[in-house]
Amino acid sequence: MRRFILHSVLFLATFFVVDKMFYFFLHHAPTLEYDTRLEQILEGKMNKEVLILGSSRGANNILAGQIESKTRHSTYNLSYPGSDVRFHYFVLKSVLKYNKKPKMVVLTIDNPHEFVNEKTLNFRFDRLYPLAKYNYITQELIRQKEKNVLSWFFCLARLNRSNFSLSKVAIPLDGKIDAWGSMPFYNRKASFIGKQNPIHQYNSALENTEKITAFKALQQLCFKNKIQIVYVFPPSYGAFDKQFYKRFLKMVPAHDVMVYDTLNTIYQKEASFHDESHLQQKAAQVFTNEISTFIQNKNYLK
Amino acid sequence: MLFNTLMYALFVPVVFVVYWYVLGKSSKAQNIFLLLCSYYFYSCWDVRFLGLLLFSTALDYVSALQMQNSKSEHIRKIWFWTSIGINISFLGIFKYYNFFAVSMQSALQVLGLDIDLYVLEIILPVGISFYTFHGLSYVIDVYKKRLVPEQDPIAYALFVSYFPLLVAGPIERATHLLPQLKKNRTFSYQQAVNGLYQIVWGLFKKIVIADQCALYANAIFNNAPQESGSTLFMGALFFAFQIYGDFSGYSDIALGTSKLFGIELLQNFSFPYFSRDIAEFWRRWHISLSSWFKDYVYIPLGGSAGSRFLKIRNVCIIFLLSGFWHGANWTFIVWGLLHALYFVPLLLAQKNRKHIEIVAFSNTWPSGKEVCQMGTTFLMTTLAWIFFRANSLSAAIDYISGIFSISLFTIPSVRPTNVLVLILFCITVEWFGRRNAFALENFNLQGNRVVRWFFVSFILILIFVFSSPVEQQFIYFQF
Repeated sequence: MRRFILHSVLFLATFFVVDKMFYFFLHHAPTLEYDTRLEQILEGKMNKEVLILGSSRGANNILAGQIESKTRHSTYNLSYPGSDVRFHYFVLKSVLKYNKKPKMVVLTIDNPHEFVNEKTLNFRFDRLYPLAKYNYITQELIRQKEKNVLSWFFCLARLNRSNFSLSKVAIPLDGKIDAWGSMPFYNRKASFIGKQNPIHQYNSALENTEKITAFKALQQLCFKNKIQIVYVFPPSYGAFDKQFYKRFLKMVPAHDVMVYDTLNTIYQKEASFHDESHLQQKAAQVFTNEISTFIQNKNYLK
Repeated sequence: MLFNTLMYALFVPVVFVVYWYVLGKSSKAQNIFLLLCSYYFYSCWDVRFLGLLLFSTALDYVSALQMQNSKSEHIRKIWFWTSIGINISFLGIFKYYNFFAVSMQSALQVLGLDIDLYVLEIILPVGISFYTFHGLSYVIDVYKKRLVPEQDPIAYALFVSYFPLLVAGPIERATHLLPQLKKNRTFSYQQAVNGLYQIVWGLFKKIVIADQCALYANAIFNNAPQESGSTLFMGALFFAFQIYGDFSGYSDIALGTSKLFGIELLQNFSFPYFSRDIAEFWRRWHISLSSWFKDYVYIPLGGSAGSRFLKIRNVCIIFLLSGFWHGANWTFIVWGLLHALYFVPLLLAQKNRKHIEIVAFSNTWPSGKEVCQMGTTFLMTTLAWIFFRANSLSAAIDYISGIFSISLFTIPSVRPTNVLVLILFCITVEWFGRRNAFALENFNLQGNRVVRWFFVSFILILIFVFSSPVEQQFIYFQF
């Protein structure tokens, strides 16, 4: 039996060494990504005064560069298409861990999907997988049960199948990120037929408790670090859900909420939109201007 | 505690070390320890059903002893039928009651009677079909005086509850397992190494083959009405490999684990997809269940002796029962009957025992004829699997009619190259290992250690790469 134990241990030791060769893929994976924003956060290179958080509505509709030039405060857009409030909280937590704290966070609200389960809004694990070489990321993946504790010992357990590629990730047609982290649209989506979303009755019973908890944790984090939050409702070619808006106002100070100018005719024109929820670049400039004015009028950055 | 989890990977080495190092000198102490570990293992699933397992074990143990001690044939019969009746009642209540209630209700509705029969809201205790069959075979063997009842309650309880086979088999026989539990076990290097090989190969089949095929099979079966004939055909193929990888993978892990403790379990799979006809397929697929039905149902019914009608009747009964054992659903029954339909012509032509030895035993490659035979058998079983996988009979029929449409000759919309390559790799390894009990048995054991370790490392790398963060259940746990 001693021989069996000895051979088993020797094999495990050999496999442990072989496994370490896969560090190459772990190390190489981040260099293949076109979206390096999360890695910049982990490297401590995200020292900005204003940060924009949100889903695609934040990424596409808010032009961080424009806010920066108007307010004269460094601004960066950390909105991720398809992400939900749990991911926004994770991004902010990571920023605070590795970077100087911002003065302000502009949080884009997905009306009416912010707190309910919506298949297009999730925790973007795919943004974390290429960064598995960072212990902080692996810890988060283990915490969220996307990986198990073997990830602490084996590179193979950290790697995702997508990390075995050696070619650069292609930039999607509408995924180009500008120097301030924003992703403005310059065209109309082929499938956008201009129909308005039907009005649903907002049902708070369907809210996801994890999302509510993450939202409150995000607020708490900002409060503790004395970071001003501005809650932004971006324009939508679909209907504005007033029920959700009312519900939302119960959770935040009303004076920190900024709703787009619903009377502005530009938001009523189909040509201003890429699709139902996303503006084209020119309309995004108008909307961003509204945000800048709101921030300036409230003197948040003084 | 699933076999494909980290928890199990920690559980087995701990049990192994205590079993051999601390308790190695006393088989009784080893048995007590294995029994406690088995109950712990079962409790990890659902502690509420441990009582049922204990009751079933105690009932069969006492019944067997009473049958042995009783001088009156009448009393023996009472004990025998009590044990059989209670065991089957448990199975009936937990597994089949709702099926019969719903079927009865539907039948009565056809006759114009609208009766609302009570439907139970209970979950199926894990492994009930398996440990009930262990107990049944034991009681039947004792009643038929083929077996002397076991006096040692620990050994008997371990026979029923031994953790590698507790939740999904193989269905053991007292005549095979009990003698091993009674004797002193000595550690064998070769047996333990083979055990590890078998576990690794089982994990490969489960994680790399079954779970990957499941992704595509589920997607295609769930979206069947929208898919082309060729895609539906691919879906059926993926399911054929999913169920093979899943169940034979499970069996390999169970047998491999048991080898680590010096206990050999019954072989459950013997490369069934290399079968040249359906009769051979059933000698190689879920062997422990097939042989159970053969010994305890088919032969008592008369087997293949008697008139042509009796032969056909017996075959139909055995396949019908086999289908019904898998689950209380008409789809399983039709799956069983379809296999009976495949089998009967072979039986009537007396060709059901034509292929006993593994294909191309003395050759490296099969002949053209053998390839055709294997291909035909595989396609027949794949067609039958559609009933096994579908949620209802109508869904299965729609699926099959979808395959046999003009779109069968189009390019399938789902054709994942990596999964197809992995399946091909699995088939290749199994082909070259087909003369053994499992594909990697004694793999290069006397040869170069570097080659051996390189190969096993490669398999482990694939397991790591394809493992899912979400626990993937084994299909046969639901039975």
